[in-house]
Amino acid sequence: MTGQTDAQNQDNPAHPATRLDPRLLELLVCPLTKATLEYDAERQELISRQARLAYPIRDGIPIMLPDEARPL
Amino acid sequence: MTAPTHDATGGEANARTHFGFSTVDLDSKQGLVDDVFHKVAKRYDVMNDLMSGGLHRAWKADMVAALNPSPARTLKVLDVAGGTGDVAFRTLKAGGESTEVTVLDINREMLAVGRERAGDRFGDRIEFVQGNAEALPFPDNSFDAYTIAFGIRNVPRLELALAEAYRVLRRGGRFLCLEFSNVDMPGLDKIYDAYSFHLIPAMGKLVTGDGEPYRYLVESIRKFPNAALFSAMIMDAGFARVKARPMTGGVVALHSGWKL
Repeated sequence: MTGQTDAQNQDNPAHPATRLDPRLLELLVCPLTKATLEYDAERQELISRQARLAYPIRDGIPIMLPDEARPL
Repeated sequence: MTAPTHDATGGEANARTHFGFSTVDLDSKQGLVDDVFHKVAKRYDVMNDLMSGGLHRAWKADMVAALNPSPARTLKVLDVAGGTGDVAFRTLKAGGESTEVTVLDINREMLAVGRERAGDRFGDRIEFVQGNAEALPFPDNSFDAYTIAFGIRNVPRLELALAEAYRVLRRGGRFLCLEFSNVDMPGLDKIYDAYSFHLIPAMGKLVTGDGEPYRYLVESIRKFPNAALFSAMIMDAGFARVKARPMTGGVVALHSGWKL
């Protein structure tokens, strides 16, 4: 299991619902490039460098839709 | 936010698809489908009960039985278009601790309903992801099974969804798809027509306050390729030992295949 950043986030009792399951981080890739993602715990985003997109995580659910992603 | 989620798979901007009985741009179909499910998310399973006379439970149970999750082996399942969690919960209950299900749905409301229903029952054995069946956010060869119940006919480009299903399955992985089919029993077809075109939209209006989404659902069922044609598409995607098992006089078919 990876996801040290997630562990920190998990320890934050103020945002229990926003934590991303570490298993998900391992599981997910960019739907466009199929490349792995970086997790930005602070912004709650999953970053696809190649696609230059940041996929938002809302209420702990990653939104893997390019339309909803923030262009980088 | 009208835009399609399939720019990257692109090149078909002017292509047309069916939305119920209307023909629409491929790009607008996803928006229209989204709208249907936004409207009905909370009452979706209630409506399924009413529309199918409870039969959807038996159909889904049959699909899960075919999948055969078991505490004796690990099983990683991707359930697509399964937002409300119905199929996922059945799979997890049958498979126990060694089964994991990732629920993918394009619709946020459906996922919200599913996650609320899941509560803490299954711990981290269930995950919810918002995504598009035509462009799955998962690596190649990452699941043992792909399930989709009454979802694939809402995908604008079936062949893309099938290609993605094949890609994310590992060798030896199973594809299972439950979908409305072609009623082929003399007599039953007429009853089914009357029922679905008149009664279902009326029930939809009564339960969810809007008959239009259900008019779409009924029309989309009729526009979906018949079992033989859909089986051919599944084979074209690369699947082997493709089968279609009709249930309830062909109202529904369980399509299956293997990635070998």
